[in-house]
Amino acid sequence: MKQLLEHIVKALVDEPEKVEVHELEGESFIILELRVAPDDMGKVIGKQGRIARAIRTVVNAARTGDKRRVVVEIVQ
Amino acid sequence: MIEIETTGRTIDEAIQKALDTLGVKRNNLDIKVLSEPAQGLFNLIGAKDARINAKVLFPPAQYLEHFLAELIKYMNLEGTVAVEEDEEKIIASINGKRIGSLIGRRGRTLNELQYLLNTIIKRQFSGIKKMIIVDVEGYRERREKTLTQLAKSIARKVDRLGEEQVLEPMTPQERRIIHLALKGDNNVITYSKGEEPYRKVVIAPR
Repeated sequence: MKQLLEHIVKALVDEPEKVEVHELEGESFIILELRVAPDDMGKVIGKQGRIARAIRTVVNAARTGDKRRVVVEIVQ
Repeated sequence: MIEIETTGRTIDEAIQKALDTLGVKRNNLDIKVLSEPAQGLFNLIGAKDARINAKVLFPPAQYLEHFLAELIKYMNLEGTVAVEEDEEKIIASINGKRIGSLIGRRGRTLNELQYLLNTIIKRQFSGIKKMIIVDVEGYRERREKTLTQLAKSIARKVDRLGEEQVLEPMTPQERRIIHLALKGDNNVITYSKGEEPYRKVVIAPR
């Protein structure tokens, strides 16, 4: 999951080397904490969260092997 | 333009010029230094610019193909990607077993993926005008048939009842299919209302 999110986000930002993803596994959720360079925040969120929504939809279509939902949190 | 030579006072300056001219990101360029800069006497006499050759590694269609193949792998799905390109668009077709999760309910995932790829390609290649279309297992064609049939059957209903009907929210591509399906219809007219992404087609009596 971590690699999937990194793959998408690195293609969206100006500073791919500053993209960091931490994966936290819970019983019913997999949480992906995403950090990007401050100037790239808008690039992963988009107008009215349009890009963030598309990222979340695509990440949730991945096969996880179980029924856990994947939550993407964009952290400052 | 896929390959250029640029000059600058430093190698970095020459690279920056190549990035600006080609409109791509640094990691999509193969750079060869043709000549190192030389300072010269008092920075004037005999000073020489740096000269580089910059080559785009992946042009848009190849970039897209490569990006999608990796994406599918990271999603733990199995599928192949084929791209076709013309003057206006690049079409990426994905085929594979159990790949339906990429389509999602009423194509939602597929449409979000397509939106994401259009954004990515515009960021990776500044100035590109081509639209990116993504298809999975021929879904777009099947959806086009379904929407055309839907448009015609609702048009008959509108004509019979004399009342307008509002369809569910659709993407611009899908709305276009409805408008085209009823373009020559003598009994009804079509228009869209609302804001993206909830914009809907209305079919009304003529």
